[in-house]
Amino acid sequence: MIAARLACAIIGLAAGTRAISIATADTAAALPKFTVSQVAAGVFVHLGQPLALDAPGHDDIANIGFIVGNRCVAVIDTGGSVRIGRALRAAVAVHTRQPICYVINTHVHVDHVLGNVVFKDGRARFVGHSALPAALARSRLYFMTQFGGDLDQPPSADQVVPPDRIVADTLELDLGDRPLHLRAWPIAHTDCDLTVLDERTGTLWTGDLLFRERLPAVDGDVAGWLQVDNELARLEVQRVVPGHGPLSTDLAAALQPEQRYLRALLSDVRSELDGGESLQQAIQHAADSERPHWLLWDSTHPRNVTRVYQQLEWQ
Amino acid sequence: MFARHNLRSAAAPLASLLALATVNSLAADTTAPAPEAWGYLRPQFYGDRAIDIADQSTIVLEAPATTPDPAATPLTIRLGAEAIGHIKQLRVFIDNNPSPLASTFDFAPGARVAEIGMRVRIDRWTSVRTIAETTDGRLEMRSSWVNAAGGCSAAPTGGGNGALGDIRFRNTPDGKTLQVAIRHPNNSGFQIDPVSGNPIPPHYVSHIRFSSNGQPLLDVEAGISLSENPTIRITSDAALPEPVSVDVTDSKDAHFNASWRGPATAGEIISNAAIGNR
Repeated sequence: MIAARLACAIIGLAAGTRAISIATADTAAALPKFTVSQVAAGVFVHLGQPLALDAPGHDDIANIGFIVGNRCVAVIDTGGSVRIGRALRAAVAVHTRQPICYVINTHVHVDHVLGNVVFKDGRARFVGHSALPAALARSRLYFMTQFGGDLDQPPSADQVVPPDRIVADTLELDLGDRPLHLRAWPIAHTDCDLTVLDERTGTLWTGDLLFRERLPAVDGDVAGWLQVDNELARLEVQRVVPGHGPLSTDLAAALQPEQRYLRALLSDVRSELDGGESLQQAIQHAADSERPHWLLWDSTHPRNVTRVYQQLEWQ
Repeated sequence: MFARHNLRSAAAPLASLLALATVNSLAADTTAPAPEAWGYLRPQFYGDRAIDIADQSTIVLEAPATTPDPAATPLTIRLGAEAIGHIKQLRVFIDNNPSPLASTFDFAPGARVAEIGMRVRIDRWTSVRTIAETTDGRLEMRSSWVNAAGGCSAAPTGGGNGALGDIRFRNTPDGKTLQVAIRHPNNSGFQIDPVSGNPIPPHYVSHIRFSSNGQPLLDVEAGISLSENPTIRITSDAALPEPVSVDVTDSKDAHFNASWRGPATAGEIISNAAIGNR
């Protein structure tokens, strides 16, 4: 049922906008097709697939895209492989002759950053949260060993490209009569979450601060994430591009399922721990009523419980 | 067995996952974990003694087929009614870890321990096995495969409150189960400082001794396979007589201790800084 809803959302999005298909020589064999949709004037989104990180196609699970100004283009997240990065770069070239001046990473996760190297041309600036460089440093070896096949061969450390312009609080970028408002958030989904607001169309890119349909993965702090969600819910925007799952025009409503899951996770793990229950029992029982509402429960929820259990153990 | 340059033992930092639990099979293309390690370990620890496969009614080893977190994989060993009070020693091996013997539990004579829970680092796809030596000298084994990658080299999380050696007890309402959490980095020696790029030296809990109401209960020889902030959970078939005391020693010969004096003290962080034994 969730899958059906997702399919409808993708079709609905494509029907109302102009969908294009890119298949370069590099990507044709590996990728059935790479599509971007213009969801608002000059705002292009590629929707990732709801797949696990070990499934075929695992490099194409995040929502990524770009925004075109009068002077240049900002890419927002680059996908989970150099293949996806190349496909995105090709999609940019189909839609505009403007150069790419910014590559913005919404956070450190592999599915959002591994295409970065494709955009390293000496002109584009890489932009991220002030905690992103350290987070990438912690992750670099892991990316190379566990996701080496998603980099150009042989995998090398310099393919994991860090930001050269960091955002400690907020930052305004201009693409030529097109201001972008970037905001760095306290620890939530990760310790380096960044949102991008395209002021002209009121389009907010949340990165993985918002998961829809795919179960949220906790890598930062649940309580912090819930606070950030509360703040996000008060923003007035025209549409939201989540890190995973379909777009929405109602940010507060789109946040509700995630908030419900995170609240259940936090309070259930806390009561399991206070009742002396084991981690295994907490994995089985915590937030179990949420299971039917989410994709990829089995590959994500046990990890979330494990993380929260360990955090609460020493709070 | 495991060189540090082995790519499979590379870092799997907590800050870099969307769903780490599923990642490991990218590298796995065979149908069973490499079995060679046990052939080497078995004679070293048990010579040519017969090892029986334990009946499920005697010993159960509960381990996830795919770990939710390679650096904190939950394991539970459950003893059947006829085994309780008749176990002398129980070992836990993680065959393909750099230090395969994760823990040795020596039971005090007659100790009514029914269940032991722990969290361990698992470095790659492996057999996890527990071998019990009964009081009449038999060896009984249960084993399980666990799919994981990078648990020994995962970057420290360092989150939360508490200082080195702090101890925290939690119990079930029936008083039969006590979970002991020890604030300690338990650095494996296979972790890399992400900022400096240098290895983090090993620093781990080596011994945990449990006593109950002044009587020895369980002596745990631990090591680098235990997770950060080591946690041991023991369950008896009757309420544990208070106080339950733990005496912890680490690899730098620091001593930490604390006592659980019933449910009223559950959840308190018992600081060892105050008693000056760090």
